[in-house]
Amino acid sequence: RDLKLSHVRPQDATIDVEVRAFAGAVAAATGDRVKIEVFPASALGDYTTVQERISVGAIDMAVQPAGTAADRRMQISSFPFLAENWEQARAVYGPGGAVREAMVELYAAQDITMLAAYPVYFGGIALNREAVTPGSTDPNGIKVRVPGIKSFQLTGEALGYIPAPIPFSEAFTAVQTGVVDGVIGSGAEGYYASFRDVTKTYIPANTHFEVWYMIISNESLSDMSEEDQATLRAQAEAFEATRWTVAEADQGVNEQKLAGLGATIVSLSDAELEAMAAKVRETVWPQILEDVGADWGQAILDAVAQ
Amino acid sequence: MVEVAMLAVGLLVLLLTLGVPLPWCFGGAIMVMYFVGDVIMKGNILWGVQQLGNPVLLAIPLFVLAGTIMSESGIAASLLRFVNAFVGHVRGGLGVVAAVSCAVIGAISGSGLTGIAAIGPLLIPEMEKRGYPRAYATALIANSSILGLLIPPSVTMIVYGWVTDTSILACFLSTLLPGLIIMTNFSVVNLWLARKFPLVLDDKPSLSELSSEVTKRGIHAFPAILMPVIILGGIYGGIMTPTEAAAVAVIYSVPVGFLIYKGLRWDNFLAAGKEASTAVGAIMLMILFSMILSQIFVMESIPQKLVSAIFEVTQNRTLLLIMIIVMLLLVGMVVNDVTAIILIAPLLLPLMTAIEVSPIQFAAIMGVTTAMGGVTPPYASILYLGARIGNVPVTSVIRPAMFLILTGYMPVVILTAFWPDLSLWLPRLFGYL
Amino acid sequence: MERIVQILLTGLICTVALGQFVQVITRYVFQTPVMGLEETMLYPMFWLYMLGAVNASRENSHIRANVLEIFLETERARIVLACLGEVLSLIIGLWLLTWVWDFMRYSWRVWRESPTLYIPVFYADVALLVAMVLMLAWSALHLMRHLRALAGGQAHG
Ligand code: NA
Ligand code: NA
Repeated sequence: RDLKLSHVRPQDATIDVEVRAFAGAVAAATGDRVKIEVFPASALGDYTTVQERISVGAIDMAVQPAGTAADRRMQISSFPFLAENWEQARAVYGPGGAVREAMVELYAAQDITMLAAYPVYFGGIALNREAVTPGSTDPNGIKVRVPGIKSFQLTGEALGYIPAPIPFSEAFTAVQTGVVDGVIGSGAEGYYASFRDVTKTYIPANTHFEVWYMIISNESLSDMSEEDQATLRAQAEAFEATRWTVAEADQGVNEQKLAGLGATIVSLSDAELEAMAAKVRETVWPQILEDVGADWGQAILDAVAQ
Repeated sequence: MVEVAMLAVGLLVLLLTLGVPLPWCFGGAIMVMYFVGDVIMKGNILWGVQQLGNPVLLAIPLFVLAGTIMSESGIAASLLRFVNAFVGHVRGGLGVVAAVSCAVIGAISGSGLTGIAAIGPLLIPEMEKRGYPRAYATALIANSSILGLLIPPSVTMIVYGWVTDTSILACFLSTLLPGLIIMTNFSVVNLWLARKFPLVLDDKPSLSELSSEVTKRGIHAFPAILMPVIILGGIYGGIMTPTEAAAVAVIYSVPVGFLIYKGLRWDNFLAAGKEASTAVGAIMLMILFSMILSQIFVMESIPQKLVSAIFEVTQNRTLLLIMIIVMLLLVGMVVNDVTAIILIAPLLLPLMTAIEVSPIQFAAIMGVTTAMGGVTPPYASILYLGARIGNVPVTSVIRPAMFLILTGYMPVVILTAFWPDLSLWLPRLFGYL
Repeated sequence: MERIVQILLTGLICTVALGQFVQVITRYVFQTPVMGLEETMLYPMFWLYMLGAVNASRENSHIRANVLEIFLETERARIVLACLGEVLSLIIGLWLLTWVWDFMRYSWRVWRESPTLYIPVFYADVALLVAMVLMLAWSALHLMRHLRALAGGQAHG
C-alpha cells in the first residue's frame, strides 16, 4: 500500500531526511508492502488543512504541528513556557508524558492515530534589527509577526512586544520590507528554514516547546494487516527515540547556522528566562486555560507539575 | 497517470471551446481524474475552500475595485490630461499619451482592463477627431491597457507568487522593465505610423505656456498622482502588505472620487462595487476548482512525470524555452491570464528549476505572455472590451492589434525569456534575490 | 433586484477593504494591531466571492472562451451551442454539488472554529453551498430560456 506523507519543511531539510529514512525502514521491514511517499514543503496544504484531510482519510500521514481549528483543546500542545529544559520536555511530550497522552486522545476523536511525537526545538524570537533589552519583559516597541494562534499573541504581548497578526504567506515579505520588525512563534530551525535572510538577531527565550506529531488516518491504518500495523508502529517508535537523542544538538546546530549567516544570538541568563516564564504563567496561562476548559487543562498542568 | 491528466486537460480545452463557464470546465477535468484516473475526491473541496481563505487573494478584488473606481471617478482622466500636457502637441503625441497613461494607471490598478475602461472612452474619440483611424486608436489603447498587469501592482503576479510560493514583491518588480520597454515600443511604433495619418495638430505651445499648462494640470492631478506613491511606496517602504495596499487604494479613491474629482456618485459607485465583486466572484470560483485540479496533479506527481517525459524529448535549454513560450502564447489565446497562471505555473515550475530558470524570471515570462493573451484572439477579453468601448467591429481592430503585438510585445517576450537580467535586475537591486 | 445586489456586493467589498485599512492604521499609526480582526474578515470575504459568483451566473457573465461561437453562422446554431453549454454545466455542477454537500456535512459535524475568537467556520463554508445551488438554478433557468427560444423559432418556421 502506498501512503502519502506530508510535512511542512522543504526538501532536504532535517525532517525531510529523517522522514525519508523512516520510509526506507518501513519499506524494508514490510518487504515493500507499505511504501511511504513523502510530500515536502506543505505541497498538500498547510498543516491545519492536512490534519483535516487526514481525519477524513484523503491524505494518509503527516509529521507536523497540531492544528487547533477542529478542537481548540489542541492548543495544549503549544502551551507557552510549559517545559524549561530538554529533560522536562521529554517528560511532558515524550512517551507517557501528560501532554502527549492528552494529544493521543484528542487526535483519536478526529479519527487520527498518533504514531510518534517529533520534538523540534524550544521557541524564540527572530528580529530583523538589534534587540532592545531582550532579557526584560517591559514594552520594547518592537512589532513582531505572530501566527494566528492565541497563545503566541498573548505570549508576544507578555514579553513586551507588539504582536501583529500577518498571514504566513505574507510574513517573509513583511519582515523584509519592515512592516514588522520580527517574528515570534517559531524557533531557530523554523527561522532558518523560512526567515534566514531577514534574521539579524535571534533571542532563544524558550517561549514554547515545539513538538510535531507523526499522525496517520485511522482509515489508512486499518487498511493494513495487523502485522504491517505493528511494524509501522515499531518503526515510528524507533523514529521518535532517535529524534529525542539528536533534537537538542540539532537545535544548537540551527542556532549556529543562523549565527553563520551573521545573526547575533542573544544569550539570556537563567534569571531572565525564569522572569519571562513567571510573567507568561501569570498573564497568559489563565486565559488559555479558560479557552481550553479550565478543569480539563488544569488536570494536565497538574500532571505536568508532578 | 500522465495520460489521464492529458485527457483531463483535453476535456478542459474542449469544454472551453464549447463556451462552458470556466469553473465548470475545471470541474469537468476533475471528473475525468475521478472517473478515469480513480483519484480520491474526498476532502478536496475542503482543500480548495481553505486555499480561497488566503488573505493574499483578497488583493485581487480590491485592486480591481480600485481600478474601476479610478475609471469612474475622473482620477484616471486627470492623469490622462496631465500626461497629455507634455506630449499632446507633438506629431503622433496623442498615441504616446495613450501608452504612457496606461502605464501610469497601471501603477495603481492591478488589472489589465482598467486602462482601456478608464481612458478608452475619452481618448478614442479624441484621437479620431485628430485624424487617427478609430480602429487603430482602439487597438493601441487596448494593447497599452495590458501594461496594468506588467507595471506593479498586478493581479497575475499576486496569483503567481501565491501558487508558486515566490515573493510577490519580487514578482511585481520582474515585469516592470519588460512593461516599460513595451510602453516605449508602442510609443515609437506609434510615432512612426503617425507620419502617414492625416493628423490635426495644436500649435506648438511656447515654453512658458507649456510650463504653466503642466503646472495647472499637475496640481489638478496631484491627488491622483499621489495614489501610486501611496500604493507602491506603502508596499516597498514597509508600511503595508500588498493586500492592505489594495484596501488603502480603495479607501483613498472613494473620497477623492466623490469630493475632489466628483466623477463618483452613489449610482456609479454601487455599480462599480457590484462590477468588481462579480468579476472577482467568477475568478474565485474558477480558482477554487482549478486549485483542486492542480492539487490532484500534485498528489499524482504529474509535474515531475511531465518533466521526465519532456526531458526524454529534449534537454536543450533554448529549445525548451522556445517550446514553452509557444505553448504559453497558445494558452493565452484561449484562456485568461489568471487561469493560465494557476494551471501552468505549478506544472512547469519544476521544469524551469531543472533548466535553471529562476522562479522570478519565470514570473516575468508568464506575466508577459499571459498578459498578452488578453489581446490575442480568439479569446481576447481586453481587445473585445476595447472594441465595445471604441464602438468598432472586432474584425477591424484585429489587424492593427496584431501589428502592435508583433512590434511591441513579441520582441519583449523573447528578450524576457533569453535575457534573465531584464527581469532579475530590479528584484536583485531591491534585495529580493 | 439589481439595486439590492449592488448594495449587498458593494457593502461586502467595502467591509473587507475597511477591515484591511483599519489593520494598517492600527498597526502603523497607533502601534496596536487589532487581534482577531483578520480572522473575522474571512466571513465577509467568503460571502463576497460566493455571491459575486452567483451574480456572474445571474448576469450570465462568467468567464468563457466563446471560441466556437465566432464561427457559427446562424442564431439557431448559437442557441443550440448555448444549450449544450448549459447542459454540460448542469451535469458537472450537480456532480460537484454532491461533493460540496459532502463537505458541508463535514463542516457541520466538525464545527471548526477560527483561531482566536472561536467564530464557527461553518458560517463561511455554507456560502459555497448557497452559491452552488443558486448558480445551478440560474443555469437551469438559462437553459429553459434557450429551449423556449428554440421552440419559438420552430413555431415561426
Ligand atoms: Na498594475
Ligand atoms: Na487571448
